[in-house]
Amino acid sequence: MTRVWDLAHGRSGDKGDVCNMGVIARSPEAWDVLLEKVTAERVKAHFGDMIKGTVTRYELPNIRALNFVCRGALDGGGTLSLRSDHLGKVMYTWLLRMELGDE
Amino acid sequence: MKSVKLGTGLAFWGDSIRPAIEMVERADIQYLCCDHLAELTMSILNKQKSKRPDLGYTTDIIPFLRGVLRKCHERGIKIISNAGGANPESCAREVVKLCQEFGLYGMKVACVTGDDIMDRIDDVLAQGVALENTDTGQPLAEIRDRVTQANVYTGCEGIVEALENGADIVICGRVTDAAVYLGPMRYELGWGAEDWELLGAGTGIAHCVECGGQATGGLYSGGWDEMRNLPSLGYPVTTVFENGEAILSKTPQTGGGVTVGTVSEQLVYEVMDPANYLTADSVADVSQIKLDQIAPDQVKISNVTGKPAPATLKVNMGYRAGFVGEAQFTYTWPDAVKKAKAGLEFLAERLKQVDFKASETRVEYIGRNSMWGPELVANPGEDETELDEIVVRFAARCPTAEDARKVFTESVPLYNNGPAGASGIGTRPPIKELFGIWPCLIPREFVTQKVAITEVLQPEEVAA
Repeated sequence: MTRVWDLAHGRSGDKGDVCNMGVIARSPEAWDVLLEKVTAERVKAHFGDMIKGTVTRYELPNIRALNFVCRGALDGGGTLSLRSDHLGKVMYTWLLRMELGDE
Repeated sequence: MKSVKLGTGLAFWGDSIRPAIEMVERADIQYLCCDHLAELTMSILNKQKSKRPDLGYTTDIIPFLRGVLRKCHERGIKIISNAGGANPESCAREVVKLCQEFGLYGMKVACVTGDDIMDRIDDVLAQGVALENTDTGQPLAEIRDRVTQANVYTGCEGIVEALENGADIVICGRVTDAAVYLGPMRYELGWGAEDWELLGAGTGIAHCVECGGQATGGLYSGGWDEMRNLPSLGYPVTTVFENGEAILSKTPQTGGGVTVGTVSEQLVYEVMDPANYLTADSVADVSQIKLDQIAPDQVKISNVTGKPAPATLKVNMGYRAGFVGEAQFTYTWPDAVKKAKAGLEFLAERLKQVDFKASETRVEYIGRNSMWGPELVANPGEDETELDEIVVRFAARCPTAEDARKVFTESVPLYNNGPAGASGIGTRPPIKELFGIWPCLIPREFVTQKVAITEVLQPEEVAA
């Protein structure tokens, strides 16, 4: 089973209650797969109740990166959250674990 | 083509000062740029200032300057910092004192203010600016009586003015992270205040380096085990050209690495819409950025542009939002999970007995789901009877410090009175006050930066 991690690396961070997760394709071929399969809808579903708001996807084609802006993702915001990862520093690793399906 | 060489000194309050010391010794930079302020920092600094009026700046600027100042003076390296935080005047005074201690007479220390609108909130409201929450749309009235701090993310204009007036060290309050880099770019490269495309390019370049080691191999997920000598990570050294392109490198003979991968990861860090990266100085567009490896540890940045700066500036207000109390405890085999759950019930019952109040509680199992919570990873099950150990973290958001303290005091009896096999209960944790962040907008004409420059004089000159 292909996972995002097989195709990309990433980083995440916080702004208020927004967590953004960037994923960067490891190759042009990987980029095509990411563009097709790692949609905002799938990312939103992959995080379930952890992301309360919307997920928006942005593209940076020349560095083959996708940026997912996730609202309501940090339990009220980094300064209020009770979570150990209150700044969403490792949330991208959960995205990297997402399975893409091999159809 | 004109260019300027900027070094990243510090990337957050409390960052290591060693990379900057190595940089001023080994890299031929002209400016050392330091961003000390994160979203929560201004609230913490204001709290410190309210207890001691001479505090309220990030005090790490002093040991930092002790480490780099002589070399910077000798080599003509200027220092730009937003360490002033909630009290730039006091910070600048301390910096002047340090220059005197070092005998660096004639140096000019600038203080850039104008970002603090705390005393003007009611006046601003009266003039029809709603200051409603840009994330939620809520009116300010909901938290007005709990606001402790209100600072505008101001741009690089004050820094440019300070440099034009000969400043060697520029201490700012809440200027944007990018401004401490964009100021010297504008001053050295002759960019105008409305050269939007260049200002956007400069802002994008600043974003690539403002988090220091995060661009040079720190936290690099693409190949973390390929990054050599991370304990001696080198920080970014950036040559910015007048056409808005740059070469990102790092201090020679340091650890880490500068690759298209490391810079790409930093580029996407804390960015919303990459085509509309809003700052006080421009709306940067990094969506079409190009990164090219032109030599080992050298990445060329190009194709970043910008649009006119927004008519409004972002304000971050901090407001009191209660307290957090935490308890942590560990249970071991046999029946570690069952005991952990019994320990949590023990704590819940004791809290009930002391009339504990909390608006929200959270349980995480460290080593299992502390980063994910039960939302994504299930709690350990009682059928997992062979677990060697399980660490429980209980946290509660409480209306008062007294309630938050109860979380700890009522967990202490777990040492002697609770289920068997408990340890790691810990010493008394500090009670943490919470501050909510209230993001809102203010028309730019309401905000004017002020620049004050102090020349470092010999003590007898001061007396005269």
